[in-house]
Amino acid sequence: MDRNIKFNAKNLDLYYGDFQALKSINMEIRENEVTAFIGPSGCGKSTFLRCLNRMNDLIDSVKIKGEILFDEKDINGDIDVINLRTRVGMVFQSPNPFPMSIYENIAYGPKCQGMKDKSKLDAIVKESLMKAALWDEVKDRLNKSALGMSGGQQQRLCIARTIAMNPEVILMDEPTSALDPIATAKIEDLMSSLKKDYTIIIVTHSMQQAGRISDKTAFFLMGEVIEFNETPIIFTNPNDKRTEDYITGRFG
Amino acid sequence: MSRSIKDLFVKGIIYLATGITLSVLLFIIGFIFVQGIGLVNWDFLTRDFNEKVGYAFTEAKDVPLSIDEEKLNDINSLDNRYETALEGPIYVENIGAAISKVAYKNHSTEREQIVVTYLEKDSPLQSAIDSTGAEIKIGPDYMLQSINGKDFTDLSLEEVAKTIATESGELKIKIVQPGGGIKSNIITTLYMVLLSLLVALPVGIFGAIYLTEYAKPGKLVNIIRFAAESLAGIPSIIFGLFGMAFFVVALNFQISLISGSLTVAVILLPVIIRSTEEALKTVPMAFREGSLALGATKLQTIFKVVLPCAVPGIATAVLLSIGRVVGESAALLLTAGTVAQIPGTLFSPGSTLTVQAYYVAKEEGNIELACAVGIVIIVIVIVLNILSRITSDKLDVFNKK
Repeated sequence: MDRNIKFNAKNLDLYYGDFQALKSINMEIRENEVTAFIGPSGCGKSTFLRCLNRMNDLIDSVKIKGEILFDEKDINGDIDVINLRTRVGMVFQSPNPFPMSIYENIAYGPKCQGMKDKSKLDAIVKESLMKAALWDEVKDRLNKSALGMSGGQQQRLCIARTIAMNPEVILMDEPTSALDPIATAKIEDLMSSLKKDYTIIIVTHSMQQAGRISDKTAFFLMGEVIEFNETPIIFTNPNDKRTEDYITGRFG
Repeated sequence: MSRSIKDLFVKGIIYLATGITLSVLLFIIGFIFVQGIGLVNWDFLTRDFNEKVGYAFTEAKDVPLSIDEEKLNDINSLDNRYETALEGPIYVENIGAAISKVAYKNHSTEREQIVVTYLEKDSPLQSAIDSTGAEIKIGPDYMLQSINGKDFTDLSLEEVAKTIATESGELKIKIVQPGGGIKSNIITTLYMVLLSLLVALPVGIFGAIYLTEYAKPGKLVNIIRFAAESLAGIPSIIFGLFGMAFFVVALNFQISLISGSLTVAVILLPVIIRSTEEALKTVPMAFREGSLALGATKLQTIFKVVLPCAVPGIATAVLLSIGRVVGESAALLLTAGTVAQIPGTLFSPGSTLTVQAYYVAKEEGNIELACAVGIVIIVIVIVLNILSRITSDKLDVFNKK
């Protein structure tokens, strides 16, 4: 049985000034699945990911055509961006914990939404850290600066910080590219356990990673989606010659 | 071969340049210290610049206050601080004080003068009040000029002592509170620093936030930035003229603390805007993205994440600003005046240390005194430097572990 459609991109074009970075993207992303975007550098996968919570708003020269429906509503239309971002969280390429205590990092999002109740915040911090498999490592030093953690811990803190907002979707932009293999393995485990509660969309350069963790994979090339299908099909029996070439390492 | 000689030559020039810079700096500071250090002491820092003449009211002791021999020997040495102690000291029992005659000299006068050189613990002079009933703390070095209408001018010390000793009951003593200190200038300088930062910091920081976080890069931003840079290069006397025309005359603030501090605030703005802007620019974009991705608004992002990260840079701005205010003289000469007093209100004049240094050097030709003021300025700047460095380290969010 097919799951609900969470995101539905329809004929999405994106321009950086005169340069067209995304060309007529059509894609349906379903709830509680892990969707991976793969492709060579500069193919538009990160750009597309950033469209999903409108992070591209920060870049002045970006123009977008077409629509992205999130629960049937166009997110480029008349919606509350702040509300969208609380429902669609994001984890970035390199860990970017704020220079505050671990506790404050997690409590930051809820506090920005106006939550002041100390006991509620405490509960959220604990629950988020548990879900991010970080609680046991940091429970004794919640008031220490987050900058004192290792890279892998910092990235899991960023995931915990995103979970604290209780989003419906978590976008991950190459979340393990700055981490060592052990930290990467921990984050991958984490993603599979988060799948039952959240819809996860991940951009990755590692095809093994895409193969290990994703349910569906989209292959991007030069701003186009060449192929989007079940992950096993993409990796064993791709329809398109270019997908096969990329996966077998002939370019990219 | 020739290359190594060339290297040696260039290296020599580099060392020479460093040496010259360092020795010039040390020479200047050393010169100021040598010239002025003789005048710097506790009295210099805690006294008003001008003498204050007034009357003190108290009651003579019926039972004479005696002093033991040992102490009497001691107080003879007290007079060593006067380069020219003329007569005395003589201990006068009914006021419990030793008086001497000295050749008194300060920045404006030179005359023979009866001064108090020692006070007993229970001396009636310790509990004197002025004509308004307020307590005056008469201490050593206060000058006595008359008692109950009997003037001391042209009397010898012994005659003065006798005159005082014959009085009993109510005493009305004409006293002169010694001047020559720079307490008022130190306090005016601190007022000036606080007030101008109070005005310039918020305006400058918000201006910098606008330029880095809100303004779309383009003509307007470039114009604002160019204006700020140009303002930083304009000599402060120009600002002084503006302050005089605008704050002093047009707004009718008079020559006052507020005119001075607003003028200095205008001078500080470009410094604060530029260094805050630089500080904000160094905050990684990733922090802003991270915050926005958590559903924070732009304002929340700026105030909760970006600004705290920029604190060390802003502290540098504050530090530079304090240096500017303490060092400012031309603009303040025109807007805050040269009156050596603690400004009672925002609208009263007062001279800062640099203005005072200018004033005593130029108007009174007293280079030593100006150098003594210079020493105090140098010390204040160094102390403020250290303080703001410590606070900026304490507030640096990246330092905490």
